[in-house]
Amino acid sequence: MADRSASVTWQGDLMSGHGEIEEVPSGAFGPLQVTWSARAEDSNGKTSPEELLAAAHATCFAMALSHGLAQSGHAAERLQTSATVTFVPGTGVTRSALTVVGSVPGIGEDEFQAAAEDAKENCPVSKALGGVEKTLEARLQ
Amino acid sequence: MPRIERHANVTWDGTNARGRGAISAGTGAFTGLEYSLPVRIGKGTEGKTSPEELLAAAHAGCFAMSLAGELRRDDAHVDVTANVVMDEVEGKGHRIVESQLTVRVAASGIERGEEFDRIVRAAHEGCPFSQLIEASAKVTIDAELEGQWPTAVQA
Repeated sequence: MADRSASVTWQGDLMSGHGEIEEVPSGAFGPLQVTWSARAEDSNGKTSPEELLAAAHATCFAMALSHGLAQSGHAAERLQTSATVTFVPGTGVTRSALTVVGSVPGIGEDEFQAAAEDAKENCPVSKALGGVEKTLEARLQ
Repeated sequence: MPRIERHANVTWDGTNARGRGAISAGTGAFTGLEYSLPVRIGKGTEGKTSPEELLAAAHAGCFAMSLAGELRRDDAHVDVTANVVMDEVEGKGHRIVESQLTVRVAASGIERGEEFDRIVRAAHEGCPFSQLIEASAKVTIDAELEGQWPTAVQA
């Protein structure tokens, strides 16, 4: 079992207030500033829950794919992944679009596509995004 | 309001067990964060983040905003901690099974009990991440109203 936590402080109301994601317990990032306008309009260099979710999903997908490839005898040299999360205010998070460009010695196109599809379906963050549309664009370098 | 997109880029070099990766935010708010498998599932973090830590930050951020939206007070002070739990579920592999929220609020003119509970419930229902996680895992909320935030601090 793995537990990971993070804390946020918010001051004031939603529209004119502001928040801070405190330095996370691992020490990897933070403090980071957050505001509603940066979340819903121009980011102005500020992160948002949707960007953090995109980072979580792209990371989880990369790890699951590297694991799947290694298990099938085609360890990746390099995987570059990205996730783009779409948020519709009033509706919620509707979509996460994954991409991957892989350097994987000796693998065929079909096998790579199947491994990427499997990682998209089964990584723990994908499983936690049950109601969200997930798309995938995978190519070999 | 138009739809909003946010993206992040991740690289991974090497095998799952021994390789390493880096995470960068599209906005530039963070870049080159390291992660690795032993850190994700182990006890020590070695200063590296993980998908679960990022998800905890996302959920805490989302809930704090949703709660601020329900409180509608300039003097509100909200502290939210999200603890995301990943576990091995029999026959299903690793799954995110729970996000535990700890919420502390100071705000003027709100009564403990029914009114505060209603506000917390509305924040939960209005937080897209609570709804996302609840679709496949559990969300628990330990919320307390700690009294009025001193107005002197605001000035």
